[in-house]
Amino acid sequence: MTASPARLGSVLPVPSEPGTAPGAPEPDDREVARLFAAGDERGLALAYERWAGQVHGMAVRAFGPGPDAEDVTQQVFVSAWTGRAGYRPDKGPLPAWLVGVCRHKIADTWARRDRQRRETEAAVTEFQSAPSATTAGVDAAVADRVLLLDELDRLGQPQRGIIELAFFEDLTHQQIAARTGLPLGTVKSHIRRTLERLRTRLEVDGAALHA
Amino acid sequence: MQHCTPEQLALAALREPLSAEDTAHLAACAACRAEVASLQRGVDLLAVPQLAAPGAPVPPPPHVWEAIAAATGITASPRAEAPAVVSVPAASEAQVLPFRSRRRPLLMVAAAVVAGAVLGAGAVAVLRGDDDDGGETVEAVALDPLADNDASGRATIVVRDDGSRVLEVDLEASPLDDSYYEIWLIDQDVVGMVPLGVVRPGKQTVELPADLDVAAFPIVDVSVEPLDGDPTHSGVSVARGELES
Repeated sequence: MTASPARLGSVLPVPSEPGTAPGAPEPDDREVARLFAAGDERGLALAYERWAGQVHGMAVRAFGPGPDAEDVTQQVFVSAWTGRAGYRPDKGPLPAWLVGVCRHKIADTWARRDRQRRETEAAVTEFQSAPSATTAGVDAAVADRVLLLDELDRLGQPQRGIIELAFFEDLTHQQIAARTGLPLGTVKSHIRRTLERLRTRLEVDGAALHA
Repeated sequence: MQHCTPEQLALAALREPLSAEDTAHLAACAACRAEVASLQRGVDLLAVPQLAAPGAPVPPPPHVWEAIAAATGITASPRAEAPAVVSVPAASEAQVLPFRSRRRPLLMVAAAVVAGAVLGAGAVAVLRGDDDDGGETVEAVALDPLADNDASGRATIVVRDDGSRVLEVDLEASPLDDSYYEIWLIDQDVVGMVPLGVVRPGKQTVELPADLDVAAFPIVDVSVEPLDGDPTHSGVSVARGELES
């Protein structure tokens, strides 16, 4: 695999801190990823040291500072560590994978809150024995988002990197082609097929259409 | 009639600007628009600011690591979290601008072109006369729904007796959860934007900044803004009209 696909969906590296552990060479990001994938505890500690700020920044952006964001950050690292068999160093850098795990945890948290809210509403409705003003469907988006993140996980490269650059970095297809070195036509046809694939997943399993 | 290519429709679903030819076709072709809408559901679900690539890092408080160590049973520990803290000011300074400014201004142009083509110039009405609140109505503009939205309304510039100007907004739109409507004046290039404030369905009045050259910002735009503390336009416009003077 050439260098360019490895840049897909990449996260800006955090500059390593100078002056620590004199004499001992600072493991590079690739080495941290290798330790992590191999189940070496230092891999988790180093990954946290380097990328917890980015992960927590996303969690805070979604939920504001406080316990909800802290829960998400904690879940990301615990779940990444226990699910490390699912991380493949040859498929991309570790921080990008952690960011992907973080997206799942954010979407899961939305879904859990939505479920709790509806249970509360259902209880209230039942108590009042009012005609069921069901809100089903209104928040189908919450469930569908979880579904589509799962579908993204099933994409191979370079499709996944391409659609992530479009969705999550807001790049145009020309910018994606420039960033990845892939031909414009290839980028466009991958975008088309991926959007079709997401549409199919929604048609088959989507909550909005089955509510 | 030559339909847009499947690839162009996918780019339209991502709200990338299309060629004039494709834009015109899309405005006229319900089948192509339906295809864009069906592809766009996935885009709208996933391309949200909360899931975007990481912005400014925020160091988690120390007990987050303690909880992770307890849950995983590992004894190795990250070095003091101080370095992460140190890196924050520079990073946040560099990343105050939100990620969403890059493509969206163009998409709004595309949306405006489509809406204009569909609705025709006749949808914009200009009135002149006395307003029932005592001020003088200088100009009124219909706010027409963009894309699949049902939002619409009317915005009227009124000059009060003391010479100050207000925009009277009558918005017909669905109530929102976890987001709000905001009204803007935007220039023809869809680059300069003057936020006029939060609006809700119904009638209200917002102040116009004194000395603002309204002719330089003729597009009256209603957006849906998430509660994310980001002061820039979300890129999600639901209704729009254009002042003619």
